[in-house]
Amino acid sequence: MPRGSEKYSVIGKRQPKLDAVHKATGRSQFTDDVVLPNMLYGKIVRSTIPRGKILSIDTSRAERVPGVKAVITHKDTGGLMVGPDQQLLCEDMVYYFGDEVAAVAAVDEETAIEAAGLIKVEYEPLQPLFSIEEATAEGAPVLHQYFEDNYADEVTMNFGDAEKAFAESDHIRVDEFIVNAGHNTFAEHHVVIADFTLPNKLSVWTPIQSALLIQKSMAQDFGLPESNVRILSLNTGGAFSGKPSARPHHSIAALLSRKSGRPVKIRITADEEFIVCRSGSRGKFTLKTGVKKDGTLKAVEADILHDCGAYIEIQFIMLRFFGLSLQLLYKLDAERYRGRLVYTNNPPYFFPHGGGLVGLRFAFDSQFDLIARDLGLDPVEMRLKNAVDKGYTTLSKTHYASCGLKECIRKTAKTSGWKKKYGKLPPFRGIGIGCGVINSGGKGLYDHDTSAAFLKIGEDGRVSLFTGLPDMGQGSHTTMAMIAAETLGIVPEDITVISGDTDIAPMDIGAFSQRGTFTTGNAVKVAALDARKQLEKTASKKFGTRPSALVFRDKKVYPKGTPEKAVSFEDVVSDTLHSQEGRYVMGRGFYNPPTERTDPVTYEGNATLAFSFGAQIAEVEVDPETGIVKLLNMTVAHDVGRAINPLAVEGQLDGQVFSGMAQTLFEECIMENGMVLNSSPVEYKLPRPFEIPEIAHIIVETNDPYGPYGAKEVGEGPIMCTAQAIANAVSNAIGYPVKELPITPERVLQALRQKGKNHAPKK
Amino acid sequence: MKKILSLTVNGDTYEVAVSPWKTLLDVLRDNLGLMGTKRGCSIGTCGVCTVIIDGKAILSCLTLALECEGKAITTIEGISSEGSLHPVQKSFIENGAIQCGYCSPGIIMTAKALLDENPHPSDDEIKEALAGTFCRCTGHVKIMEAIKKVSQPAGEGASHAPGK
Amino acid sequence: MRLPRFEFLKPASLEESLGLLEKSGRKAKVLAGGTDLLVNMKYGVLRPETVVSIKAIPELCSISSEKDGQTIIGASVTLSDLAGNSLIAERFPAFQLAVRSVASKHIRNMASLGGNICFDTRCWYYNQSKLWRDARELCHRTGGSVCHAIKGSKRCHAINASDTAPALIALDAKIAVMKKGQKRLIPAKEFYRDDGIRHTVLEPEEMVTSIQLPEGNGNSQSTFIKVSMRKGIDFATGSIAAAASVNGKGVAGVRLVVGSIASAPVLLEKTAQLIIESGLTEKSIEKAAETARSELGTLTNLFTTAGYKRHLAEVLVKRALSELKEKIGRARK
Repeated sequence: MPRGSEKYSVIGKRQPKLDAVHKATGRSQFTDDVVLPNMLYGKIVRSTIPRGKILSIDTSRAERVPGVKAVITHKDTGGLMVGPDQQLLCEDMVYYFGDEVAAVAAVDEETAIEAAGLIKVEYEPLQPLFSIEEATAEGAPVLHQYFEDNYADEVTMNFGDAEKAFAESDHIRVDEFIVNAGHNTFAEHHVVIADFTLPNKLSVWTPIQSALLIQKSMAQDFGLPESNVRILSLNTGGAFSGKPSARPHHSIAALLSRKSGRPVKIRITADEEFIVCRSGSRGKFTLKTGVKKDGTLKAVEADILHDCGAYIEIQFIMLRFFGLSLQLLYKLDAERYRGRLVYTNNPPYFFPHGGGLVGLRFAFDSQFDLIARDLGLDPVEMRLKNAVDKGYTTLSKTHYASCGLKECIRKTAKTSGWKKKYGKLPPFRGIGIGCGVINSGGKGLYDHDTSAAFLKIGEDGRVSLFTGLPDMGQGSHTTMAMIAAETLGIVPEDITVISGDTDIAPMDIGAFSQRGTFTTGNAVKVAALDARKQLEKTASKKFGTRPSALVFRDKKVYPKGTPEKAVSFEDVVSDTLHSQEGRYVMGRGFYNPPTERTDPVTYEGNATLAFSFGAQIAEVEVDPETGIVKLLNMTVAHDVGRAINPLAVEGQLDGQVFSGMAQTLFEECIMENGMVLNSSPVEYKLPRPFEIPEIAHIIVETNDPYGPYGAKEVGEGPIMCTAQAIANAVSNAIGYPVKELPITPERVLQALRQKGKNHAPKK
Repeated sequence: MKKILSLTVNGDTYEVAVSPWKTLLDVLRDNLGLMGTKRGCSIGTCGVCTVIIDGKAILSCLTLALECEGKAITTIEGISSEGSLHPVQKSFIENGAIQCGYCSPGIIMTAKALLDENPHPSDDEIKEALAGTFCRCTGHVKIMEAIKKVSQPAGEGASHAPGK
Repeated sequence: MRLPRFEFLKPASLEESLGLLEKSGRKAKVLAGGTDLLVNMKYGVLRPETVVSIKAIPELCSISSEKDGQTIIGASVTLSDLAGNSLIAERFPAFQLAVRSVASKHIRNMASLGGNICFDTRCWYYNQSKLWRDARELCHRTGGSVCHAIKGSKRCHAINASDTAPALIALDAKIAVMKKGQKRLIPAKEFYRDDGIRHTVLEPEEMVTSIQLPEGNGNSQSTFIKVSMRKGIDFATGSIAAAASVNGKGVAGVRLVVGSIASAPVLLEKTAQLIIESGLTEKSIEKAAETARSELGTLTNLFTTAGYKRHLAEVLVKRALSELKEKIGRARK
């Protein structure tokens, strides 16, 4: 890979992932590839009813099966609660089909399955509730006894004066949008190995987005100091918001291990994935939006209900995201928001890919287009009119030090040929635009958002970089290596990234909330600068110059302007070690963005320093007879601050456009009585190669002042734009609004029939 | 009742005692320690368990081990030789076609089987071959690019040698 | 999702195989490609004591052209081999299209034609793991007496999702079936039964040995259309195979077979008759599509709603007949 003569020698180059060769040869170890000596296999016994009382559990036959080494029920858990409403193993009530009731560990999986089948649980079924509507109806039974009703959580936000803003509006629309339940469908199923054979040390192998979150919750579960819980995650086979924290099977495996005195592996099988995986739930978005007749937005009032499923777990995060997200993208005078989670007897939910915000953005931006149509305005022009800018401070006091939203809108409009196409396409061809925004990390979970990093430099000039940030495929480790390489003036191939073991790696909150590039990237830069300072001391002595006059680039060190005097990086390292001081060069650093958590009452506060922005334009073709939508092409622009690795950034754009398309046109868990009917990869429709559109990438760089080398996130920003671009294109194609995801063939035909009945307005 | 099975994998012959209900995937991973071939849906719809037998991409989760007596099986561990990567592997690495890597062995084996049989496939032929796999990380986009680059007709920068 | 225990036998000849099936009867299942049987065994809905692999039987693996013009395809020939076979491409392009649309290429590399024509019927409430099915009453198929797909129904409505079945019926193929001491040659349209449980006329000791396609005549055309959510992997939401020939008087021998919407492929006889009487015109095609709706019987909400299935069948009939009209027109020129 040629190193350039531009400003940066490493940043901005198309860098193949450093671990790609291990993955391409099957060498990379995933959790299921780990076999420990003396290891047992666990199987969980799950409720076969969605709601009811447990009358008895008989484990006697299971315990007698040869090869069974441990059987556990609630009485073995010490009453362990893994949530405010959730026991690890159910004692006298079950709340969903699949709820964990007991577990077995045996010498092989076959024996464990056989024994699990012999555990007899007697239930007394109670009336279950399967939808938001049922659970909030008058007289509905209250599902969790310590609550008054079935609302699991409620958040309200009020920014500005909504009454005044609506009163000043020339046009107001109210629309309801619906998204349906889905599944993250990563290639690697959930799996855990727990070794709790020593009394005070628990080791857990599992795929993760955050080692810290799992470490903390398991330490709490078992009354251990956090540092005595070791989380090992060699590789994670996809997460997409689906592997953020501990699930019941983690602590169940630990208990089985403690009881049997042997490590225990629990594999979540294909059928259990549609029970265990906390993914997206069904949600209803009622939006009332007021605008001036020239298209200027005034106010939005949102009432959002989401099915929480049986337990709340960490879903409370979603309601806060929704409320803040509503006012991040376009300039508004006021926002009034109420978000509520509703308990049902469906499986507990969490986020689909995109943090649940895909649905919110679909609703908001689809209504935006309906308003544009009402006013006779071009959707692109109306977005440019309202888009936030650099230097803007939102209603919640979030400030944008960099913002390329308008640039993204203009560039996608130009590249896609919007002006030639909008309103001019043949029948059943449509074009639509969608915009999105998302934070690069931020304070919320804790009062810090710290990532730490350290590195050591061998005498040969090669570096080991230690980070607690996992790489679930997004290329974060390669990005960190590139940041370190740029700072030290070496090449990424000379850096080994070490991660995946909390006994070794420094603290990192984890790879969610899109914090990797921004927060951990900054920590890595600080650590690399720390190491560089030590080398600068040696080199400045040698050259007789000030440290600030030195250039570190292309594995060489020289005073500015005199590259012919260069010595190798390796020599400077070696000289530092062989000096009088005998210094072995190590660098350390941490980064905690200088922001504050949002106020717990008003939700105001600048909690995040940087946001990524994007715009996408989709073109579709609809078959009006079968209702099938073909996504022809996507023009995708994203403001990533700086593309540290354009190859990885493109990969993120592709993957998220694909995933966004999947949620918009294909993915739906068809639920009946709290169970997923289409629970296999052939019935759950994650698209395949024939469904991918042509994708044009436009990377916009606004050089954020706070991001490492100007970089911001790209981990979940692009998917914020996709659903509404496609939905708006479909609405444009059929001449009727689309208000429910996914846009299946049946829903398209339904819309066409409705249009025929209503004589809907012309395109 | 277990049978002694003689299995040839990547050119090496192994003798394993196997029950009839064990799949080839079980034996590769649990008996032979070849972990490159992955476990996924177990019902033949995701492709992560793909190996090559008689030149064809085969789902090892739906192949009984006992049916593999006398067959030459190739797994991901067997396609690079003497320290150098197979052109398909190289192309996947260079073109960003690998993200989390869990589906990569299965997809690389699928691509290799395709190109061995049809060195210059059309876009539709590549999609047809890949439709039995899934990849949410890449959306298959860079995977398609990587395979197209390695399958260009001779004289257009082809780097793939047809055949094994 | 693991295989249960079973005895595994691999006979080396057809005779040996038939002998084993006679001995085991209902306790044995024939294993060809494994892409249907092994999946259902992992779900736990099929638990044969004995599995008889027919992969080593040479007589079942060939494609041959007979003197009388028939094409005979051995039951074990894989769908991949059929999809790439030039004789099939030349003589039966629509059938080859149907073969090529089955599942994925991975599956086709393993699956046999015999397996696909016997492909077990499917239902959301049946093709699930034991954990899932234990949460509901046993249905007609799993030893109970209810149908979850159509509440209150006294029969099983699981769907026949074979892609080759409609094509073989449209082409008037014959299925050769053997048990020890007996061979039957069954017209494809009589091979299937409108029942989700016993969906073919195969007896437990019988196995399919070959499929015979008649000699085409120069005046016939056929077509196959499969509609599915995703291309290259999915079962059909609905499919249609259509064949017609032209004689001096007009269109003759029309066959329209809709697949993947009911327990058996649906042969639209009234609709076909309408076309024979009125010929292939835009007007008659519209009328035919309407007529088809009435021939479909009770449809389920499995995988898609009954309403969508009925609508889709109408669309498929229209499109298939239009394609036939075009092909016949081109052949005439």
